[in-house]
Amino acid sequence: MLELYAKIEEACDFIRRQWAETPRAGIILGTGLGPLVEQIEVQASIEYEDIPNFPKSTATSHRGRLVCGNLCGLPIMAMEGRFHMYEGYPLKQITLPVRVMKALGADLLIVSNAAGGMNPNYGLGDIVVIDDQINLMGDNPLIGINDDRLGPRFPDMSAPYDPDLVNEALAIARRENIIAHKGVFVAVAGPNLETRAEYRFLRAIGADVVGMSTVPEVIVAVHCGMRTVGFSVVTDICFPDALEAANVQKIIATANAAEPRLRALVSGVLTFESKRYFDRK
Amino acid sequence: MIHPEMSTQDLDCRALVENTCQAIFARRIHQPKVAIVLGSGLGELAKHVEHAESIDYTDLPCFPHTHASGHAGKLITGYLAGLPVALMQGRSHRYEGFTDTDLALPIHCLHSIGAHTLIVTNAAGGLNTRYRAGELMLIDQHIDPLWTTPHARTTEHRAYTIQSDSKLFGHSVPLHGSSPYDYDLMDRARRVARREDIELHQGTYLSTLGPTYETRSEYRMFRSFGADAVGMSTVPEVVAARQLEMRVLAFSVITNVASTDLPSTTSHEEVMDVGNLAGPRLMKIVCGVLSDLAGQPD
Repeated sequence: MLELYAKIEEACDFIRRQWAETPRAGIILGTGLGPLVEQIEVQASIEYEDIPNFPKSTATSHRGRLVCGNLCGLPIMAMEGRFHMYEGYPLKQITLPVRVMKALGADLLIVSNAAGGMNPNYGLGDIVVIDDQINLMGDNPLIGINDDRLGPRFPDMSAPYDPDLVNEALAIARRENIIAHKGVFVAVAGPNLETRAEYRFLRAIGADVVGMSTVPEVIVAVHCGMRTVGFSVVTDICFPDALEAANVQKIIATANAAEPRLRALVSGVLTFESKRYFDRK
Repeated sequence: MIHPEMSTQDLDCRALVENTCQAIFARRIHQPKVAIVLGSGLGELAKHVEHAESIDYTDLPCFPHTHASGHAGKLITGYLAGLPVALMQGRSHRYEGFTDTDLALPIHCLHSIGAHTLIVTNAAGGLNTRYRAGELMLIDQHIDPLWTTPHARTTEHRAYTIQSDSKLFGHSVPLHGSSPYDYDLMDRARRVARREDIELHQGTYLSTLGPTYETRSEYRMFRSFGADAVGMSTVPEVVAARQLEMRVLAFSVITNVASTDLPSTTSHEEVMDVGNLAGPRLMKIVCGVLSDLAGQPD
């Protein structure tokens, strides 16, 4: 991991030249959730391929650009489209944008994803505020020689998602009349969806939603000392005994339909943060 | 010395092991019968070795470059409880980017210079709620959930892979019997513990890739798997030793007990402190087993 520091600096220098603000938060938008960027007062929009050391986003419905600007009164940077392990990228590279966000000044990470719902109390399009996570990817973005400038060798993971913000997000959902649950997200490598037996297994080990992203980014956010809040949109229902074949178009349509609700939660969290930030000032 | 980020495409593992054996014998040491791998915080055991000779890993081609704090990176040979031993003070881990082959090489080397028994110690998180921090656990079985490090290196291909046959099913095909851990040695360890009035649990060790400590949900999952303790080491060395038909005995020092329902943080310092406190008790058991073995014909 010793080569990362220089790579982060290089990417930061490039971004700073296009956008001089200090971001307060970084946002990663998952499958079908990209439209949230429409709400940003855009000051700079940078294609991933132009940023040094950023991988290229190849996944379906992932746009592949970094949008910088103001949202709910806070300077933020949003990744429209993310990178996945199944695209063949090393986790270190997938998570580089998180380190760049931190290096530019962001201390809050908001992640979102489209996920399969395994908890029978969840409905299609419901939002899950991620309370905890399970890493079943079989890999870790921190493998290698630790660079102590970036974070500790053995990060504690007893609360990867900020408990205050989880509660705040649930309170916002209640106020806005949005169905939101608190749940455990499990990440698998993908890209195949799960078999029925795998859904039973994932449910048995305590997971509520399953996806192919987010966990690496959150591990790195914990490593570099960022607070994190994560949202899953339940885009398909994964009950092993009544399983329908997954349809990517339907998954994306469900994500798109849920996007306004996710937008309300993200805005609510940012408004809460901006109030806290300016109160402190 | 093996470095996790060096290009190993053309590495000839067999030659590496042979060169290392020669480097060790050049020091005119006694041929060790038992190899001991010391885990986090247990390096103190090395102080009790008589007629100690110490060789830095930097002088041993097939030994790893160690980075983890609390791991010194020395091979110490000498006598413990009357038996010639070789101690690996400082080990390497998958989370540093080493492959299982890298982790197997030192075991192959120690086997080549005469060790027929491997004793492994580690610091582990307790999952079994009956365990308390600072207690010892005899490893009875292990679970390796097939973690590998697929992207740890850019160059993955080697000229020669020791564990090529185990690639098929990830790991451990015990040669006979149902456990990679030697029942006779376990018996001896339990007897010593009773005699010395030391609480010694027996349980299943689960290895994770690390380096992150577990989330609460992961602790719950590992508990549901049937694991009693969780750590980031040991399994690769044990599998290598079993492939060489060595007898294996392994201990975990329980450094903290996971509380899944009441978030509590884990720090490396805490792990090290508890490891150091438990060191003398573990030392007693290991020495007891060794002196037991010293009285036995080979």
